[in-house]
Amino acid sequence: MALDTSPEQPAPVRQIANAISGWIDRLGSVWVEGQVAQLSKRPGLNTVFLTLRDSVADISVPVTCSRTLVDSMNPPLVEGASVLVHAKPSYYATRGSLSLQAREIRMVGLGELLAQLERRRQLLAAEGLFDAARKRPPPFLPGTVGLVTAPRSAAERDVLDISRRRWPAVQFSVAHATMQGHRSAGEVMAALARLDADTAVDVIVIARGGGSVEDLLPFSDEGLLRAVSAARTPVVSAIGHEPDQPLLDLVADVRAATPTDAAKLVVPDVAAEAHAVASARERLRSITYSFLAREQAGLDALRSRPALADPRTLVDERTAELAALLARARRTVGHSLDRAVDDIGHHRARARALSPLATLERGYAVLQASNGTVLTSVDDASAGDRVSVRVADGRVHADVTAISRADQSTERPAGRPDGQEATDDR
Amino acid sequence: MTADTTDEKPSYEEAREELIEVVRRLETGGTTLEDSLALWERGEALATTCQEWLDNARARLDAVVEKDVSSAE
Repeated sequence: MALDTSPEQPAPVRQIANAISGWIDRLGSVWVEGQVAQLSKRPGLNTVFLTLRDSVADISVPVTCSRTLVDSMNPPLVEGASVLVHAKPSYYATRGSLSLQAREIRMVGLGELLAQLERRRQLLAAEGLFDAARKRPPPFLPGTVGLVTAPRSAAERDVLDISRRRWPAVQFSVAHATMQGHRSAGEVMAALARLDADTAVDVIVIARGGGSVEDLLPFSDEGLLRAVSAARTPVVSAIGHEPDQPLLDLVADVRAATPTDAAKLVVPDVAAEAHAVASARERLRSITYSFLAREQAGLDALRSRPALADPRTLVDERTAELAALLARARRTVGHSLDRAVDDIGHHRARARALSPLATLERGYAVLQASNGTVLTSVDDASAGDRVSVRVADGRVHADVTAISRADQSTERPAGRPDGQEATDDR
Repeated sequence: MTADTTDEKPSYEEAREELIEVVRRLETGGTTLEDSLALWERGEALATTCQEWLDNARARLDAVVEKDVSSAE
């Protein structure tokens, strides 16, 4: 039913959209098988958008379905799951987009498989098998390394070569087991048990190269997981490549992305360690030497201080002090003596000046009664008294024979006893 | 000023601290001649003690290093 249009008679968009919609509806509802490539469940939105990819060709188609349908699915819908979808193609005229409207979704094959793994994971997680508390760190330097791997496998070669390069003296105890197919889980468990029983083995590595989900299925086997969880020796899981995550990764004590990483994890780089130890020893010595040198310098400085190095300074100072004191003492004594001498001289002069001696020497004499009092007037004496006359150089003892009063006007009285020249004329 | 002549050997730090104190007091002066001499003698003794500690430490260190060097040959 072609639509005859021409540049002259173009058809409007709505007419074209309707036409397309009509053709698409003619397909009707179909059962489609494919893999869920993308799944987006935005909260609050009751339609779920997912992309269904063809399992072989690189073709995909958008699918919408109701939220309740997806949520009700058990096991839950996960990306990568293979599914069967019963859907009706529909064309949204407004946005011009096509998508399959799903009415029913069923898991199938791998999808079922992944769902089973997911259920098991939840079950074991609930049981606490994956708890961090159960994880034991492998020893830094293992005595013997247990290795469970396929004989002559790339994984085996990687682990052995790299470990030996990092630590030539590493000891290995390899327990071979098929790492593919339904017998694999059982054999790995047997190998694990053997190595776990060997007390010399300090860590066990379970290593396998890459593979599909089905190939790695044995490493999600519940029996194996429980055995690993119960193992006495720490277990390192090294299965497949970085993205692969068998459940063994969750239950093992340590998860290594690849066998190579497992080797690096388990065996320290002894050369680097030896170097570190040597340099630490070197630093130790240089620090101690410099400490000693510093203290020695401090001590030398102290000892060179004059107070210690040259104690004579102490005594010298004291002797100098002594000499100074002595000199000062002498000087002061000298001064005071001089002063004393001057003083005496002064006093002597004064005494001499005051003493009547000079007067006596000029011919005067001092008349004293027997009791020593000086006679200054005739009234004080009477005939027969014993008197003494003090002349310059001594005394004359005499008796008074007579008293005669001096004439008032013509005779000057004898010198005054105080030796003062009588200057006032009477 | 009675120098606390502890009978057992003082630790290096104690000896060093006291030595610094002795030198400081000698330099500030003001002590009697008798005390100064006593201080000086105490200083000498302390200095010897410190030196012994340092020599001892160095000897122990050298011993280990020599042994290491000789065993390396």
